[in-house]
Amino acid sequence: MTTSYLVIHSMLVKQDRSREQESGDKWEVQLRKGCLELAILAALWDERRYGLEILRRLESDSDLIVSEGTVYPLLSRLKALGLLRSEWVESDAGHPRKYYALTPAGKQRAAAMAAIWAQFSSSMSTLLGPLTKGSRSHV
Amino acid sequence: MCDEAQQRIEAYLSRLQKRLRGLNREDVHEILEELRSHILDKAAAGGEVTAAGVDGALAAMGSPEGLASEYVADNLLTRAAVSRSPLRVLDSLFRWASLSVAGFFVLVGSILGYVLGAIFILWAALKPLHPRTAGLWVSRDSTGELTLSLRLGFGSVPAVGRDVLGWWVVPIGLLVGWGLVLLTTRFALWCAREYRRMHLPRRVEAH
Repeated sequence: MTTSYLVIHSMLVKQDRSREQESGDKWEVQLRKGCLELAILAALWDERRYGLEILRRLESDSDLIVSEGTVYPLLSRLKALGLLRSEWVESDAGHPRKYYALTPAGKQRAAAMAAIWAQFSSSMSTLLGPLTKGSRSHV
Repeated sequence: MCDEAQQRIEAYLSRLQKRLRGLNREDVHEILEELRSHILDKAAAGGEVTAAGVDGALAAMGSPEGLASEYVADNLLTRAAVSRSPLRVLDSLFRWASLSVAGFFVLVGSILGYVLGAIFILWAALKPLHPRTAGLWVSRDSTGELTLSLRLGFGSVPAVGRDVLGWWVVPIGLLVGWGLVLLTTRFALWCAREYRRMHLPRRVEAH
């Protein structure tokens, strides 16, 4: 009787923990999702780039691992929305590459998003200051 | 590049092309050319394009079915930004349903929602044509059981029961019908967004 109670209890506790973990993961995924569009626009800020370059840029400059299956469809969508334009350019490799660049609307949108981001992250950092200090001292 | 590498690329792209059928022709062409260029670049990272390099590049892209499904779900979202007409949404959903189980269920749910919405709108529209027979009829049979029936008004006046809503059928039918249509569109778009969200970037594992 007691054992079965304990088993059930530990199952429930486990479930609770995994649920907590799950909602934490979900939050992180949402956060990353929200940033991906800005990350792509930012990667194109100073010059035109082709898909693989954008992927590499995102991987080297941010800790976002992005798959081809995510980025290429998103690039087409941003283009369809008028934020990006594209052109085919011949390369030394022997095949043409599709380069993307920001349109004026895309530039405007990227700048607006970056301003919101800067404002938001600075106010969050102030708010989170005590929490992150605390976690550091624990480690 | 060896023939084997070339063949693998073509096989992958032709499978993808089959799944993208229905999308704008020019768009499909652009997608295929862009991916071809991507595969060649990635496979040639070490110098020569080899069959093994191509395999690696293709593995990173995932199955053609999965990739096509991503494009189609995104296409649905893009088109919805321009027009939210149910016909357009359904058109995209049919394509999505042919590519993934998730798309199939979203299609079934959406058809159900749109058909129900259309019935309510039709109900409201038919009231002026069938003023005496269309409406919400309530009748009580011999056992006292209450029966509600939504009548479009074809046929003769029912022998028992009475029309409880009268002309209120018109605003109620229109409101509920439109509400269902709008909700269904939102549901379909929400599903497409959630679907895209499932394939999202995760944090780099510690090296």
